Amino acid sequence: MTEERFVVVGNGPAGHQAAMTLKERVPDADVTVISRHRGSAYRPHLLPDFVAGKIPEADLYVCPTDSYKEKDVRLRTGQKVVSLDLKERSVALDHKEIVRFTGLIIAAGGKPRIPETLFIFRELMLTLKTLEDAKLWREKLSRCDSVLMMGGDLTSFAVTNALLQLNKKVYFMLDKEAFWPLRCDKATLEEAGHRLFRRGVEVLMERRVKSMARVSSRECEVQLNGDRVRAGIIGAFFGLVPDVRFLVGSGLRIDRGILVDEYLNAGSAGVFATGDCAQIYHPEIRDYWVSIGHDNAVNLGRTSALNLLGECVKVEAARESIFEVQGIRINTSWWMEF
Amino acid sequence: MAKTIKYSTDPEDFYYMGVNVPCQAACPASTNIPAYIRALYEEGYDLSYEINRLANILPGVLGRICSRPCEDRCRHGEAELGHPVNICHIKRAAADLKQGLSRPEASPWTPLGKKVAVVGSGPAGLAAGYDLSTIGFDVTIFEALDEAGGMLRYGIPEFRLPRSVLNEEIDRILTGGADLRTGVRVGKDAAVEELLRDFDAVLLAAGCYKSIPLGVPGESLPGVHPGLEFMMSVCSNRPPAIGDRVLVIGAGFTAFDCARSAVRLGAGDVAICLRRTEEDLRVTKDEVLETKKEGINILSLMLSRRVLGSTRVEGVEFVRTSPGEVSPDGKRTIAAIEGSEFVLPADSVIVAAGQRPEPIEAGALKDAQGLAAADRDSFRTSLKGLYVAGDYLTGPSTVIESVGMGRRAAERIARDLTGKAFREKAVRMEEAEITDRKRTWDYLPREEMPAVQPVQERFRRLNVEVETGLTPERAKEESKRCYLCYLHYEIDVSRCIYCRYCIDVAPRDCIKLVKEVLTNEVGAVTGFVETTRWREVNAVVIDNSRCIRCGECMRVCPVNCISVTRVELTERPAEEGLSHD
Repeated sequence: MTEERFVVVGNGPAGHQAAMTLKERVPDADVTVISRHRGSAYRPHLLPDFVAGKIPEADLYVCPTDSYKEKDVRLRTGQKVVSLDLKERSVALDHKEIVRFTGLIIAAGGKPRIPETLFIFRELMLTLKTLEDAKLWREKLSRCDSVLMMGGDLTSFAVTNALLQLNKKVYFMLDKEAFWPLRCDKATLEEAGHRLFRRGVEVLMERRVKSMARVSSRECEVQLNGDRVRAGIIGAFFGLVPDVRFLVGSGLRIDRGILVDEYLNAGSAGVFATGDCAQIYHPEIRDYWVSIGHDNAVNLGRTSALNLLGECVKVEAARESIFEVQGIRINTSWWMEF
Repeated sequence: MAKTIKYSTDPEDFYYMGVNVPCQAACPASTNIPAYIRALYEEGYDLSYEINRLANILPGVLGRICSRPCEDRCRHGEAELGHPVNICHIKRAAADLKQGLSRPEASPWTPLGKKVAVVGSGPAGLAAGYDLSTIGFDVTIFEALDEAGGMLRYGIPEFRLPRSVLNEEIDRILTGGADLRTGVRVGKDAAVEELLRDFDAVLLAAGCYKSIPLGVPGESLPGVHPGLEFMMSVCSNRPPAIGDRVLVIGAGFTAFDCARSAVRLGAGDVAICLRRTEEDLRVTKDEVLETKKEGINILSLMLSRRVLGSTRVEGVEFVRTSPGEVSPDGKRTIAAIEGSEFVLPADSVIVAAGQRPEPIEAGALKDAQGLAAADRDSFRTSLKGLYVAGDYLTGPSTVIESVGMGRRAAERIARDLTGKAFREKAVRMEEAEITDRKRTWDYLPREEMPAVQPVQERFRRLNVEVETGLTPERAKEESKRCYLCYLHYEIDVSRCIYCRYCIDVAPRDCIKLVKEVLTNEVGAVTGFVETTRWREVNAVVIDNSRCIRCGECMRVCPVNCISVTRVELTERPAEEGLSHD
């Protein structure tokens, strides 16, 4: 029996894959997955389809909860890691429990980003990151006809598609910050806008929010520079930021995400970061990169687990199409389908 | 029955305070934080303010701009306990809610007939001048600029520090008796040698007024502004034209002040460029959040290589950096990633990469920078009667560090000139009742500082104070969160019946079964050898370095063998200084 005690923080695509890979490779290892969310791992990239009613909830799940038990992976749901002690090799949970590890994979994922300038309006905006969020979208969509989309991340275009299929009126705000953290030139922005327009979306170019208020139980009003828009839902799609605040002061190097080397090592022996919370310098794009997308997350999850077990697997470079269009590094697939 | 009060100057007790009241130990001015928080909880705003002022002379100022080393050490911020108490803003609440400034008390010291010149009226100079004047020295403070305050007035924008607050506290300091002479630049208008002839001692506390350049090509192009000069022009209502796109290069408070000022001057696209990460910033989290709310981007892991432009600045070429380990000076090392060059366009570039002192010719031995070299403990230079303190001695530091250093320098000067100590630190011990803290208070969320919203309202004028202050209700709520670490809990082993009820209710491993108590050379407790074997247990002890003063152990103790003592690191007039010939 190995004395290894592996802890995986997060049960998204990367965390789930990491835990399963660890168990496959070392069947008698003690593997614990700690997730703040309840329930089994699901595929977040399918949430827009779930919102559109194209797939049932059951199709979102990667595997039933029982399968963790069958594979002898301890799944602790509804528990939040609040700090990491590298010296003691332990994590603290918000209910004051300390969990020790010999190897750690942090797959805490990302959380919806709300620009600080819009912080005060955050209660009026809906994000779409979790299954709970998706259920709220479905419920609200059943009572409204129009949606104002703000931001321009991966999910926003998929949700816009879903809304059009549901015959909803869609307003879409596009500006140079739309593809945050990447900046967009005017031509790229106009092309994205044009494609949305052709599909029947009302595009609001280069507008800034002056105020936002709920005017009735069914509608919010957004005052922009130049005009105002009333919509049943205001969707906030400003990208994800790695959910790593709990690691502040732990000794790991934190920038937007956890800075890792090409093997996903976080700078401490036996501690790896993977998925949407890992930040890596990418020589091909000559810049730092935080992975996005389901497939990347699964690949990174597997890579981190293999490296924790002593292998030396380098992170695969993401496809070029994710980064380059007319010299601007954005994921063209977000809007090319329009 | 009167409570027993004792004072101790035993090193063992100082050691205890250092370990067990971490907030006060972290404060460079040794502010009695638990006491002023408790006073505010009891709605004694004036008392709370005065407890502060005894140590740090500028509570209203520091309640707004302190770097808050105390909060980093607050026990409430330990891993499983939540977030630190909002100590700084409780301090501000006391300043906001006080009824008025107290009248200066009659000094217990008589005039000494000795004169001290203080060069510079920043926090270090003001603190030293105040302490020296209140113990009987004839003090003159020389200020090169038009008004007193140094960096507080000329380096910190009004939207963070209203001048009415600064003026009120400087006026209060000057009522201590120091004479202020503004518009006198020592080294130019008056020589140090001259002052040394006219005064018994001279303290150079002239601050850091020279911006450090990046040292990259193109830095002299029009449109590149040294950060400190930019801030001084803003604070003097003579800001330069900066255009729409502004890059601020730097990571300290000055960089943030420059960026936020640039937005107020009309720039639409402002970014702060960091060599390291946001995580490595030493500015407070509140400052970072408010800066972002104002639409300023914080860009990390980038090193400027050259400023671009033909007749004026057009942009900056950067290269990505890779962060390494934290070096002994507390800064993280970085390495440039070659081949990662990129350019950001800009109409103006503000370089806030640090400041250093401008040398004043003093006739003393000089250090490598051409400044009068001084010992950092004694503040003495090679010239008898010449001392150096504050940022002029150490390079840029924080306001609270400067205040603390100014006070220590004053004590040293007083000793050197008279051969006597005037103030001494002592640990005050007083029997206390069980705290009335409720266990539920441990779970109260931290009360954050409210700020002007919507953000556009902040930009109406350059001097709209952004942080609006805690209401009395919210300040009191926050004060409940303090664990009151100045309460010392102790089990009387002779009366303990080893029932272990206290251990059962302890919220963390703060009560221990021990077989041995470890002490250091001064007799202070440094640790415990715990045991799980009952036959080895020699005592049940409370580890005050882990205790969160919830009081649960006292409440369940069936034999009342747990006592509480209120222990405070205080300052009192030294006996020798009180007795004059």
